[in-house]
Amino acid sequence: MTTVWMRRAAFTGRWLGLSLYLGFALFPLYWLLKIALTPTRLLYSEGVRLWPSATTLAHFAQVWTTTQFPRYFWNSAQVALGAATLATLAGALAGYALSRWEFRGKASVSFVLLVTQMFAVMLMIVPLNRMLSGVGLNDSLLGLAVVYAALNVPFATFLMQSFVDAIPKDLEEAAMIDGCTRFQAMVKVVFPLTLPGLAATAGFAFTAAWSELFLALVLINREADKTIPPALLSFITKFSVDWGQMAAASVLLLIPVCFFFAFVQRYLVAGLTSGAVKG
Amino acid sequence: MHTHALSMESKTLPPQAQRAASHRMRHALPWLLLAPALLLVCGVLLVPLGVGVSYAFQSMSMDNLFGEAGFAGLDNFRTLADDPKLGGVLRNTLGWTVYSLVFQCGLGFGLALLLRHSGTGGRRLQALLFLPWAIPSVLIGLVWKMLFSPYTSPLPHWLAYLGVLPQAADILADPDLAMLGPVVANVWFGIPFFTITLLAALQAIPEDLYEASALDGATAVQSFVRITLPLVMPTLLITVLLRSVWIVNFGDLVWIMTQGGPVGATQILPTYLFSTAFTDLNEGYASALAVAQLVLLLVYAATVLRLRRRIMAGRTEEST
Amino acid sequence: MRKIALYGPLLLAGLLGGGLAHAGKLKVVEVITSPERTKLLQTQLAAFQQANPSTTVELITIPWDGAFEKVLVMFKSGQIPDVIEMPERWSALYVKGKQLEPLDPWLKSSKELATLQKSVQEAARFGADKTYQIPYGFYMKALFYNKKLLAQAGVRPPSTQDEFVKAVEAVSTKVPGKYGYCLRGGRGGGFEWLGHSTTYGGTGAFFDKDGNSLYSSAAFQKGMQMVVDFYQKGYAPKESISWGYNEIVTGFYSGTCAMLEQDADALIGIAEKMNSKDFGVVPVPTGPNGKGYPNTGFAGWAMTSASANKDEGWKLIQFLSAAKQNLEWAKVVGVLPIHQGAEADPAFAGEHWAGWFQTLKQSDKYRQLTPPVNLPEWGAMYDKTMVETGQEMLLGKRSVPEVAKQWADTLTAAQRKFTAAH
Repeated sequence: MTTVWMRRAAFTGRWLGLSLYLGFALFPLYWLLKIALTPTRLLYSEGVRLWPSATTLAHFAQVWTTTQFPRYFWNSAQVALGAATLATLAGALAGYALSRWEFRGKASVSFVLLVTQMFAVMLMIVPLNRMLSGVGLNDSLLGLAVVYAALNVPFATFLMQSFVDAIPKDLEEAAMIDGCTRFQAMVKVVFPLTLPGLAATAGFAFTAAWSELFLALVLINREADKTIPPALLSFITKFSVDWGQMAAASVLLLIPVCFFFAFVQRYLVAGLTSGAVKG
Repeated sequence: MHTHALSMESKTLPPQAQRAASHRMRHALPWLLLAPALLLVCGVLLVPLGVGVSYAFQSMSMDNLFGEAGFAGLDNFRTLADDPKLGGVLRNTLGWTVYSLVFQCGLGFGLALLLRHSGTGGRRLQALLFLPWAIPSVLIGLVWKMLFSPYTSPLPHWLAYLGVLPQAADILADPDLAMLGPVVANVWFGIPFFTITLLAALQAIPEDLYEASALDGATAVQSFVRITLPLVMPTLLITVLLRSVWIVNFGDLVWIMTQGGPVGATQILPTYLFSTAFTDLNEGYASALAVAQLVLLLVYAATVLRLRRRIMAGRTEEST
Repeated sequence: MRKIALYGPLLLAGLLGGGLAHAGKLKVVEVITSPERTKLLQTQLAAFQQANPSTTVELITIPWDGAFEKVLVMFKSGQIPDVIEMPERWSALYVKGKQLEPLDPWLKSSKELATLQKSVQEAARFGADKTYQIPYGFYMKALFYNKKLLAQAGVRPPSTQDEFVKAVEAVSTKVPGKYGYCLRGGRGGGFEWLGHSTTYGGTGAFFDKDGNSLYSSAAFQKGMQMVVDFYQKGYAPKESISWGYNEIVTGFYSGTCAMLEQDADALIGIAEKMNSKDFGVVPVPTGPNGKGYPNTGFAGWAMTSASANKDEGWKLIQFLSAAKQNLEWAKVVGVLPIHQGAEADPAFAGEHWAGWFQTLKQSDKYRQLTPPVNLPEWGAMYDKTMVETGQEMLLGKRSVPEVAKQWADTLTAAQRKFTAAH
């Protein structure tokens, strides 16, 4: 029996917990904001202060006008969206297949998918570069997106397999008795129920591609096709780290990302499950 | 391998004549569904993987950097067995992976539980709570490096004030404490991953199960242990497996924050591999290391997957 | 008729192709990158294209952090540029791998480059007999000091090693919370084990006349021990064991440590963030024989042996290295220019540049010393071994003589290999 007191305690406890998490998650980002607003001359003398004695928007202005960050952002977005879409679609189909069927070669498929995740990518870079040059996809965003998709498909597959596993087979059986083909059952019945899983998978593939550094650095030469992580490196010159601009660029990055998450999380919380699963 | 799926299928099979046709369809369909994924992975990665693995059997060094590499048989693997630094690297990698994982998973799970019952208020916070996941690892490394330095952040000073640290010093410069730096950054980065995945899995648990058990008089903790954990376990195991494989290969944070130092205290497999390949220019040995890592990870994955299958088989047995 | 239809386009393509081959396309890669350098380089490249309308130049800008790895992968995957900016530490590898084109045939008859300082020409030859790059300037070490901290400690800017050691001690012990020396124990920290050792060594070389590494000598080890003592006695901050370039420069201009040995390009960064009255620059301290050996490095423009447009490539290198462009470049980049008499330019007359120009003028007292970058093994030694074993020494895990012997053995073997091949 839960008393009012217990419920209130639980409520406060919950929000206290959430605040702690929020604080932990946001403090470094707050720090970036603080640095982005600190004039360069005060960066080190006031390094420890929680808020600078004078603020400036100069770093933001410089990043926006003198660097090509808006372009890099757009490049990263394209590559990440492309890779995420491709990986999620391929992974969802493959995950469904692995979940619903037993067949010869199933273990081999899982093996192949796993192996490509486990071998250090840095050793594959030279042959990868050569291969992409062979098909004209080197130094291009499309080539990069394809590589990212390939790298994320195994993860997407296993994750989707796991989400599909959690959906009882009765639902598809019921749909097929009603006249659907298996494919229709998959698309109309199962996938809507795994929407949170799909959203999660897409989100992860997106951020993996968004954040990846080494391949982006090596596979792309053209300035116009640079993505964000290598571009951030350019703030670290041999001579200094331009913290102000780097922080400003990061803050500018965060704004659209925040919106993206706000959008995606609506699907994460899709509570479509409650009636259908019981069957 | 459990066969209950096939047995379920046979219950709804149509008459003999159509059985053969749909039998063929059934066998083709899974492969069709797998095709895009396999095409991508094999088309893009298989050949480079093969080439990368082949380096392990060649002698590549700065002497033949751009030219033909000589065949070296198992020499690189012999070096592996004799490498004095490898033990430390493996130990560090284990520590790095286990600590990162335990805290990411635990804290992530905790956050998922909190969010589940926090309604719209919690939902609005989600975009903010998940932000760390969206930050490129370069930036994460640089920011946390800054946060651990007493010259550029109040954090060491606070920790010293609270008695957590003996003095306001940079833990990244202390060989005994340095590994904690990248771990904290990794945990900060990885909590959203577990939160999101587990939240999705938690959503799939029907409310009635909890209502029923509440009627039976179970406490919150009992509900958690008897309902939540078992139902979340399959997803949890896969998530843990995938994430741990990923973490073992994740060298960015360590590279940026400590470069594997001081004195190799934070040298983990990916950073060790990187410096062997690109500083020592010994790609042959680096590849041998990668192959060994591959084998270890495959064994690990097989174990986790078998455990998961056993749990899932147990669960289906209960429900039928 | 059909034959024309078939062969016509081929012929046309051949003609066009041939024509295009003369209108060269040059791929230029810059690796030591900063916004100012890129801007200036683009301006200079544009001027070059105007003067040579049949040549187009494409600039690929690579951030310094990760540049070595990226360039290596580029070369290994066959994406080889025509002209590339080469830091001296990379050159040995690419020369050994036969990736760089010897420039002597063009250099001999070049009017624009006839006024190169002799030291430049020597440096570019890497101890062998061919020129593999045209340096665009020297990075030479000098001693930066914090005027306020030294005054507080009651010492004058040091001119000898003994005075230097005393000054470091004085600041660390007499000025609370401050340190005498900005020690670079982390990335790039190999540098700590070069300057002081060679100064005590007093011969201006890293090897003796038989090709044995001088790290086995007591004098070199004295220099190493000095650095270890600084760290262990607390004359340098505890964090400095993992300090890289950015941290030592920051340590200096934030007033945490009083003295810093660095090149002129640090001057640019420091002058931006520190009041110019607060710091000064003097030549590196002299050793027991009254001589100083400022460690010197360089970077320059090289041409790849795989380039299909070598004549155009040379024209570009010659253009960038000509007196006018080089002077512009040296001022922005912070190197000592390469043509004779260029230091007379008023831009170098500032008080802070005096540290370097004094060094140059008193050439009997200060001899520029380049580390053995001609050895392919040097890169890994400097970037990895010296940093790791250096940290072990600083933490007292290994003794100086033990580590010095390890270095000496490796270097002697490498030197033997090199002399045998040349």
